[in-house]
Amino acid sequence: MKIGIYFCKCGTNISDKIDSEKVKTGLPSGPSELSFKTIDFMCSEDGKESLEKDIKENGIERVVVSACSPRDHENTFMRVLSKAGINPYLMQMVNVREQVAWVTEDNEKATEKAGRYINAAICRVELHDPLEKKEIDICPDVLVIGAGPAGLKTALSIAESGRKVVIVEKTPVIGGMPVRFEELFPNMECGPCMLEPVLGDILHGEHAENIELLTIAEVVDVVGSYGNFTVTVKQKPRYSDIHKCIGCGECIEPCPVSAKNIYNCNLSERKAISFPFAGALPNAPFIDEAICLKKKGYDCSLCKDACPVEDAIIFDDAERTIVRNVGAIVVAIGSDSYDCTKIPDLGYGKIPDVHTGVEFERILASNGPTYGEIQTSQGAAPKSVAIIHCVGSLDKEHKEYCSGICCQYAFKFNHLIENKLPGAKIHHFYKELVIPGKEDFHLYNHAKENPNSTFIRYNNIETLAVSEKEGKKIITNSADGSSVEADMVILCPAVVPTVESGKLGTILEATHDKFGFFEELHGRMDSTQSKIKGVYLAGTCQSPMDIQKTMNQGMAAAGYILSGLVAGRKLEIKPITAVVEEDRCSGCRVCVLVCPYKAVAYDTEKGSSVVNEVLCQGCGTCVAACPVGAIKGNHFTNNEILAEIEGVLS
Amino acid sequence: MTAKPKLSMYWAASCGGCEIALVNINEKILDVDAAFDFMFCPCLLDTKYKDIEALPDGDILITLFNGAIRTSENEHMARLLRKKSKLLIAFGSCAAEGCIPGLANLTNKRDILKTCYLDNPSIDNPSGETPKPETEMPEGKLCIPEFYGSVKTLAQTVDVDYFIPGCPPEPHQIWAVVETVLNILQTGAPLPPKGAVLGGGKSSVCEECERKKEDKKITGFRRTYEFVPDREQCLLEQGVVCMGIATRDGCGALCPKVNMPCTGCYGPPEGVLDQGAKMVAALGSIIDIGDLKGMKEDAIDKKIDEVISTIPDWAGTFYKYSLPGSIMKGRVA
Ligand SMILES: Cc1cc2nc3c(=O)[nH]c(=O)nc-3n(C[C@H](O)[C@H](O)[C@H](O)COP(=O)(O)OP(=O)(O)OC[C@H]3O[C@@H](n4cnc5c(N)ncnc54)[C@H](O)[C@@H]3O)c2cc1C
Ligand code: SF4
Ligand code: SF4
Ligand code: SF4
Ligand code: SF4
Ligand code: SF4
Repeated sequence: MKIGIYFCKCGTNISDKIDSEKVKTGLPSGPSELSFKTIDFMCSEDGKESLEKDIKENGIERVVVSACSPRDHENTFMRVLSKAGINPYLMQMVNVREQVAWVTEDNEKATEKAGRYINAAICRVELHDPLEKKEIDICPDVLVIGAGPAGLKTALSIAESGRKVVIVEKTPVIGGMPVRFEELFPNMECGPCMLEPVLGDILHGEHAENIELLTIAEVVDVVGSYGNFTVTVKQKPRYSDIHKCIGCGECIEPCPVSAKNIYNCNLSERKAISFPFAGALPNAPFIDEAICLKKKGYDCSLCKDACPVEDAIIFDDAERTIVRNVGAIVVAIGSDSYDCTKIPDLGYGKIPDVHTGVEFERILASNGPTYGEIQTSQGAAPKSVAIIHCVGSLDKEHKEYCSGICCQYAFKFNHLIENKLPGAKIHHFYKELVIPGKEDFHLYNHAKENPNSTFIRYNNIETLAVSEKEGKKIITNSADGSSVEADMVILCPAVVPTVESGKLGTILEATHDKFGFFEELHGRMDSTQSKIKGVYLAGTCQSPMDIQKTMNQGMAAAGYILSGLVAGRKLEIKPITAVVEEDRCSGCRVCVLVCPYKAVAYDTEKGSSVVNEVLCQGCGTCVAACPVGAIKGNHFTNNEILAEIEGVLS
Repeated sequence: MTAKPKLSMYWAASCGGCEIALVNINEKILDVDAAFDFMFCPCLLDTKYKDIEALPDGDILITLFNGAIRTSENEHMARLLRKKSKLLIAFGSCAAEGCIPGLANLTNKRDILKTCYLDNPSIDNPSGETPKPETEMPEGKLCIPEFYGSVKTLAQTVDVDYFIPGCPPEPHQIWAVVETVLNILQTGAPLPPKGAVLGGGKSSVCEECERKKEDKKITGFRRTYEFVPDREQCLLEQGVVCMGIATRDGCGALCPKVNMPCTGCYGPPEGVLDQGAKMVAALGSIIDIGDLKGMKEDAIDKKIDEVISTIPDWAGTFYKYSLPGSIMKGRVA
């Protein structure tokens, strides 16, 4: 075998330290025929040309490049090999610049070290197999789970590029949390109005035909991998046709039954046929089959009778199972609020007028239970409101992390209370104040400057207690014996993962962090990718965040998909993957759970484990784990690695 | 009539189980006798060393050499039989990998002699005498083989053609090898490549084990005296260290069949260099110590220790049969 060793001088970077002549004379005499050449700057156009020419002219079969880090130029030289007509994987790069010249003081030692490394590369490259990239067809369509700001941003961007998107939303309404909020920090924009352009485009915009919106639906099964997922969705009946219904609301008044409206945090009633709240989109009511008389078998059709459009109400609507093929999946299912009854002394759920932030948002909303009037349970306007920050956040006993948004919405509340109830006292109980960013200090300053605001710092939420005396709420701090009176108490609970987050994670095989949020591939570099290739994360299902970050993540997910999964382009599979020798695999299933990318599965029919080449990143974890040695890591086979070690030591 | 090809079997540092295993092929031993001139086997036949020394080189077709190399006598016989045999086969775990005698490599010659001849409560040794190659006695010079500093495998001592694994090799596998040889003799079929392992599979014991196997994750280990393992489910999944995952198949999964974990006597699977290291790598991959995010390093260490401390006698468990043949080979100092 003819091996070409190309020693790049990298100007003086390498040649000042390492004596190439000595390296050359020290080359081992083995079965292979060795040719040693020095090149001044191998990565320059001239350098690449002379490398290519030498390989071609001298019939070189394997190449050792002694130069810089493979991170810099492995791909450069692999391309040269391809141009010279040999398989690019028949090369081994030795990093004599960063790992020798730059770090080894003594010239002689540096030369010896380089010689050993080159010898290792020679031993290894003799064993290299030619490897080929593979290509598979992909489906460019996308599934978005959750129709909050994050999911809608992704969906719209992808639809705008002409690609098909399926949106699966659990509730009858799209827009997520902010469409239920009257105004939004930092600039006090109206929530529904701010999102309207996105919602409008999703439903009726220029690219709406690319979007399939499935409300009251959930994903029940996902098989396949990046580029080719098959998704099964179960959609519950809405009993109204969102395309035919004109949203007039004529059906609602006649309906004789009602129940608590969860979309108003159970602070008001809702008919069996209803809109979650005024202005909810899609603009078509839904029937709650749990209470509808017709659904219970009674002879009622008052809603349908009142409806001016034929067939807008569909009593025999039924659950559907919908199967779609997609190439990528975006998880955007949002988050929840920490259960405030876990800090019982705060009186939540027991004492009237103790509300969570979300409840108070609904109270503030003009389409909410009180039509935007701030009222106590007695129907009076509160003269004082206490806002308790950090309920469960930054707390080892509850949630260790800072939820990041609560201080800001607490100051938003301050602003809104001041507007709606001039002169009302507002007490902020806080542990820490967190208001980063270039816009967010305005509301803080405003609250600070409000003469009716007081700021009371506490150390530990467990020392706070809310009690009730003659309609007044008394907030005491046992740490210092202080107490404050208020007519209403607002708790700002920690942002926590939704209950369904775990179930969906199992279906997608996507992992969670220790708090239960979906786990990102890398906290700084790749917070929008999950550890499963082709499954992306956007919004508060990944971490607490405000709408700005949410939208950015939604867009980032779209970016990953639009750049990685291109219609008409095949998905390239790099050949450095693990491969199971099926006839040697014992079926012990040691390897299955070790793969960080979920690329290994046990195939019962074959009686052997198999590696999914699309998902495998070639990390080698399963190779080390397999006790039979039945898994081969392409380009890092045991023999190659052992030869390399022997080469260094010999 | 041409003479029958010669077959010999020799025991070095071993227990004699391999000879029993050979005889355990039962009436088929008659076929062996019919096909071969079974001429040397100190356990079963009365042939003398000098008879072997007198043979021309390469006169024996096959020697089944069992036992590890512990003493100078073992080494002498290994060299002698190598010279006199066309094919030298390391028969059984002791010859192939060092096996139980090889566990002595966890200590050293001085400590072994001390334990056996000085500290041993059943020995009365007032003069503190320990065995030496030559000892002057009133009656004359007493010569015995030298006890080496460590145990070696046969292949670490002489060139070996083939290996038959097992402690001892299972009779059906021994017979399979004999049949292969007979077939080669009769048909002139090519010999297996030199260095091949005969009488075993290419996978692991799990391949032959009929227990139900699931994706593995283990939170702690138990020993079989602590509970009665379920007979259907994989023992490893029940927290019993079963070496079956990292042991060559061939025995028919004898031990798991009787509700005992495999201890690894068939040695590393094909291509695996170090059975113990492979087992450690595999267990390390499936031990589940729970969520570590945000935990301090010493707390993580503690968690790991808690789980692995439930594995008894690491060296004796992972290297029961393979210490001298392993990468580490034993204690260095
Ligand atoms: C009280 C409060 C006030 C806030 N005020 C502001 C503010 O003023 N300004 C600001 O910038 N941010 C504010 N935020 C933060 C803001 O609400 C979030 O950043 C934003 O809602 C995150 O959007 P999202 O799309 O990730 O999740 P969400 O808005 O929660 O949307 C998630 C969507 O997914 C759906 N879903 C859930 N589970 C499933 C499932 N299994 N299958 C299908 N669909 C599912 C939900 O029904 C919902 O439609 C506030 C938060 C709170 C709690
Ligand atoms: S059919 Fe059901 S939803 Fe319609 S009016 Fe009667 S109870 Fe209400
Ligand atoms: S090499 Fe790594 S990524 Fe590939 S299958 Fe094995 S464990 Fe998974
Ligand atoms: S660990 Fe190896 S032998 Fe066991 S199932 Fe996986 S590939 Fe097969
Ligand atoms: S019991 Fe042992 S041999 Fe059987 S499958 Fe489990 S690990 Fe393998
Ligand atoms: S199960 Fe393991 S220890 Fe038992 S005989 Fe087979 S290989 Fe030997």
